[in-house]
Amino acid sequence: MTEESLYTRKFRKELMAGLSSLVLLAVLARAGREMYGYEIAKAVKAEGEGGLIFKQGAIYPVLRSLNTLGLLDSRVEASAFGPPRRYYNITDDGRQALNDWQGAWKDMREFVDDALMAGGGAAYEQRPSA
Amino acid sequence: MNNDRPPDTVRAYLDALQSALKGASPGLVSDALSDAEEHLRNELASNPERSEADVLASVIETYGTPAEIAEEYRSMEATLQGPFPKSEQAPERHYGFFGVISDPRAYGALMYMLLSMVTGIFYFTWTVTGISLTAGLIILIIGIPFALLFIGSVRVLSLVEGRIIEGLLGVRMPRRLPPVSAADETVLARIKDALVDIRTWSSMLYLLLMLPLGIFYFVVAVVGLSLSLGMAGASIFALVTNHVDFQVSDVPWLDHALHTAPGLAAAALFGILLFFILLHVCKGIGWLHGRIAEALLVRL
Repeated sequence: MTEESLYTRKFRKELMAGLSSLVLLAVLARAGREMYGYEIAKAVKAEGEGGLIFKQGAIYPVLRSLNTLGLLDSRVEASAFGPPRRYYNITDDGRQALNDWQGAWKDMREFVDDALMAGGGAAYEQRPSA
Repeated sequence: MNNDRPPDTVRAYLDALQSALKGASPGLVSDALSDAEEHLRNELASNPERSEADVLASVIETYGTPAEIAEEYRSMEATLQGPFPKSEQAPERHYGFFGVISDPRAYGALMYMLLSMVTGIFYFTWTVTGISLTAGLIILIIGIPFALLFIGSVRVLSLVEGRIIEGLLGVRMPRRLPPVSAADETVLARIKDALVDIRTWSSMLYLLLMLPLGIFYFVVAVVGLSLSLGMAGASIFALVTNHVDFQVSDVPWLDHALHTAPGLAAAALFGILLFFILLHVCKGIGWLHGRIAEALLVRL
């Protein structure tokens, strides 16, 4: 992997910050069942372009924060002997949020595409994220 | 950060992650470590034909380096306490002496103190029974599963106590059970792991310590509450009904004062003042107990 500029990495990170929640909600909604962290990590990898865009380790804190916000339910398989697993499931609030956020993402994507295409493609230059 | 050599065992990875998280709250560190351990062990289990170092090398590519992961957790914690509507924790309000009356932390601590005698007695009994039965049974074959069961129960109790503390005292505690040793280890190896794990011992110490502490907290809370509320309540009642029901026959001047209106008013004020002092004491004890729990229940 070529070294990206610091700005680009920061930009990617900021983009991903909100989108990772959307992606995880979508994965869980599609699965329609409880999944544990590792399973979700594998599912996300299968759907995305590979681990380079989205580090699997970044999934876990996002799952926790979605759980804290009440968009996901969680349950620990509280076995004292096997490796404990935390299972997550999407809540009704989570489905509602997924719905809303999908709309927001579509709007956003169109808006960004329009802005980028307006200059006939010439506007693809790097600029630091504001 | 020591980037000189990437970690090639799960333990080394967790150590690196822990040092990258230095300074974060212990509960956050514990969450991050157990997430990482769960993921890494799962990764190892699904690639049984590859060596640990081999798996670790590829996992760091997909899971992230310890430094990256530490950053993710820090920013998650910051986001949760930041602009999200769910987080109501205002940035550490400063309450004056009388402002403590509206400080939820003080009432939480008061509740905790009232509760702690019950939980303390239970923890103590449970732990002492567990230790003695384990010691007695260890020479028999059922001693081994019993010891495992007991250690498991100590972990669950510690988690429960952590939830209570986080709820009432507002100190961040682990939100899940600590990871146990890998599943492929033998029973004896697991017992050995638990025995050398300092956390097993510190948790037991905490559970035992909760009996004296719980009794002390309970006494402070009950004496403080009854003294302050009783004094204020009885004096105000006497002032309103013009009938004094209590007498301090040993101290004539006090008894006399309590039969005059100014004396009663002063007693009422004193009782109310005592209540404020009690709330401050509760807050202080709550803070102190939070530190004790952090030191003994959270693995560092």
